[in-house]
Amino acid sequence: MSAGSKEANEQRPEGLTPIIAMQDVQFQYPGAEGTALRNINLIIQPGEFIAIAGTNGSGKSTLCKCLNGLIPNYYVGDLSGSVQVAGLTAAEETVSSLSRKVAYVFQDFENQLVRPTVYDEACFAPLNYGYADYRERGQRALAMLGIDHLKEQWIWQLSGGQKHLTALAGALSLDPDIIIVDEPVAQLDPYHAKLIYEKLKLLNEQFGKTIIVIEHHTEFIADYCHKVILMDSGTIRWVKPVQAALSAVDELAALHILPPQVTLAVRDAETAAGQVHLRDRLFPITIEDAAAYFSEAKILSQTNNALVINEPIRKSVRESVPASNPLVTFTNVSYGYKTITRERYPVIQDMSIRFYEGDRIALVGNNGAGKSTLLKLISGIRRPSAGQLDVCGYLTKQASPEQLADFVAYVYQNPEEMFIEDSVRKDVEYFLKSRNSPDYSSFVDEILHRMRLTDLQDRDGRLLSGGQQRRATLAIGLAMRPTVMLLDEPTASLDASSRREMTDMLAQLDGQVKTTVIATHDMQLVAEWANRVIVMHNGAVALDTDQRSLFSHVAVLEKTGLLAPQITQLSQRLGIDPPSLSVAEFIASVVGDPSSPHYVNRSKESAAIGSH
Amino acid sequence: MEAIKQSMLDKLSVEQIKIELMRTAFGRQSTFLSRFDPRMLLVWYSFFAVAPWFIHNKVVLLGLLVPMLVLTLSSKVSPLVLIIMGVGLVSEISYILLGSLLFGGSLEAVWPLLTLTLKILLISLASIAVFSSMDPEKLSDALLSIGMPGQFSFGVSYGYRMLPILIEEYHNLIHSFRLRGRAPAKKGFLRVNSLIYMAKIGVRAFYPLLLNTAKRTRTTVEALEVRGFTYALVSPEAKKLKLSHMQVHALDFVFLGCSLIYVIALFSLGHYLSFSFN
Repeated sequence: MSAGSKEANEQRPEGLTPIIAMQDVQFQYPGAEGTALRNINLIIQPGEFIAIAGTNGSGKSTLCKCLNGLIPNYYVGDLSGSVQVAGLTAAEETVSSLSRKVAYVFQDFENQLVRPTVYDEACFAPLNYGYADYRERGQRALAMLGIDHLKEQWIWQLSGGQKHLTALAGALSLDPDIIIVDEPVAQLDPYHAKLIYEKLKLLNEQFGKTIIVIEHHTEFIADYCHKVILMDSGTIRWVKPVQAALSAVDELAALHILPPQVTLAVRDAETAAGQVHLRDRLFPITIEDAAAYFSEAKILSQTNNALVINEPIRKSVRESVPASNPLVTFTNVSYGYKTITRERYPVIQDMSIRFYEGDRIALVGNNGAGKSTLLKLISGIRRPSAGQLDVCGYLTKQASPEQLADFVAYVYQNPEEMFIEDSVRKDVEYFLKSRNSPDYSSFVDEILHRMRLTDLQDRDGRLLSGGQQRRATLAIGLAMRPTVMLLDEPTASLDASSRREMTDMLAQLDGQVKTTVIATHDMQLVAEWANRVIVMHNGAVALDTDQRSLFSHVAVLEKTGLLAPQITQLSQRLGIDPPSLSVAEFIASVVGDPSSPHYVNRSKESAAIGSH
Repeated sequence: MEAIKQSMLDKLSVEQIKIELMRTAFGRQSTFLSRFDPRMLLVWYSFFAVAPWFIHNKVVLLGLLVPMLVLTLSSKVSPLVLIIMGVGLVSEISYILLGSLLFGGSLEAVWPLLTLTLKILLISLASIAVFSSMDPEKLSDALLSIGMPGQFSFGVSYGYRMLPILIEEYHNLIHSFRLRGRAPAKKGFLRVNSLIYMAKIGVRAFYPLLLNTAKRTRTTVEALEVRGFTYALVSPEAKKLKLSHMQVHALDFVFLGCSLIYVIALFSLGHYLSFSFN
């Protein structure tokens, strides 16, 4: 047992005094028009695991920055009301005294890492505060998170998940009572996000830390948090226990927070079955509860019990031979890069695969599986070290990226690396201008309009919100009129409404491009958008199939660390075959209501795919 | 021939330069010089970086060159760095030669200028040997302990942490330009057009790099605040704690002593030899 847990246990009996108490707190940023926080009254007990949800700009981060003293010591604004944190009166303290009690992991955690190695990073804060045992503290924090083996690693060599854990370790080394994590899921893939939450759970349960997460991924909230604070335009709308909070489906949806799929499923199934909901009705929020609920067959008994979709199981896309020539052909392609020890590290190994017109390919697999490298190879900015790669009739080894750009558009994972001009419009025009396209201006207008960027066209891309940035990069890609569109994680770090919007825009691409390849961790996007799924593992194709059969390959999913969408997992548990890919589909199969508009839509869609 | 050209191009690629830079910064090799206390190395270096300017005796200069070459080789310096230095020296000597011949001079004029080149070579080798043996973390601590401001010494080690990220981002930005731009259709004489095109991109890519970095800094500054960086700047205990790991050993004095004895010996020898030459 480390010292941290002992201290925590000693604190437990005193748990009656709240660890955080805010009374009538109001804050206004200097120079800002309105108040960022209003009438904040909040009590948090030690050992709670709390989620703060709310739309962008609702004051979530501002609230948390009041707790570690950044407000009002660093952001000198108008703060009124009283804030008590871990026995300290915030108004009388400094950032340095408060941040020893309150650890903060930022949303863009990579920028909070300031030291060259993991161990240095873990020791940094205790060293600054002059703790003589800073080495032990760093070591202990690494051990608590189970990353001692990374100790000697350089920060730049770490994966996203490892960096997040390192940032957490750097905060933990001060042995804080409260840990605030700002949107852990946004920048991480689902596998690592789950890992982070497991660690937070451990810190909460074993070491008695109070955990506050800013989060809008309700599936994580459902699995890990005790309470939810809902914020709306600078005020706290309510604080509720997690189940009651997530059952407020319509209220959350109005604030662009997507309730868990299983909760929606139960609600919609009951509605479809003609039940009227009371206001305080609690719905199941986890897969376990939902599975138990549906097994009791409250719904099913009212309808036919046969859980079958009247649709033949579609053949794998690959079994039908496409009539057209492939647009992209990999023939025994390998690629590796040199590491700083001058050794070659293989990323893609002896890969042979073809992409055809009409393919909507989702490229999935864990980090380091080679997804991004595959896209870079197609775009021509990486060249195969062995084998041949043919893209639209060009061998990439002999063609320059500029030549391939006539056929291929590659949209980066990080939008900021695509903004090379000082306004969105100039960025969108860049390709056409460099090729002296006649009359490009009306075409650009049209694209900006379609991506809803007309009002933003003169802004610098860097200063837009996450969702706007993604739209802008998509517009840049579209303006190239590509045959092949490559997108790297287009829905990563977007909130629910931007995500939905992005998925809709991706669905529109069909008429514009001949084939689209998306590297993604977003299994809902895979389920709803793709017609071909390629699972990569260790630089090779582990599976090439369609999205429906993907989720029945349990062994492959496990090996590659992929998680099916909640609704798919639920339908598998209930023995629905083929498994549902969306809530609407699920409802249709359990309630059997073919007149549901979603159901009709999907039938049309699958008919179209079937004829492919 | 084509294969050789290809392999030369590979060696010169941005990717390759990136690896060599990273090797130089993060190679973490133990070398002869890396054993010594960084402050001692700074003292040693400050002599050998300045002294050659005031030495006119070629025997002494040549005598100094020998240990510098040995130390540089023992520091396992990246070939890229040596090649760049070599190119610089060769081009310098050749333009001096060319200039002197053009203006009616003879090889006579080259001789004194070669002394200057020798001095520059000595100083460059000393810098390479010392700084490639001392990782920036050590340098940063050494600077702090000799009284440089905390912000400055932190800047050195922060630059060290950011370097790979900036290089990576710069590389991606260059790709952004290439993926949307158009290379000149005619490569021109000696690929001059392509070179100009790439050089232009190389410069333009710095602007987005600067802007992106500026944007990122906000979180970094907040994080530094929260993690006690400003607190440590004004706290003498924190500084003491930070530097407590640095210790001067007997070996450091042995090294300084040997260097001193060698230099004295060299001067006496130089004195004697120059007399006998005259």
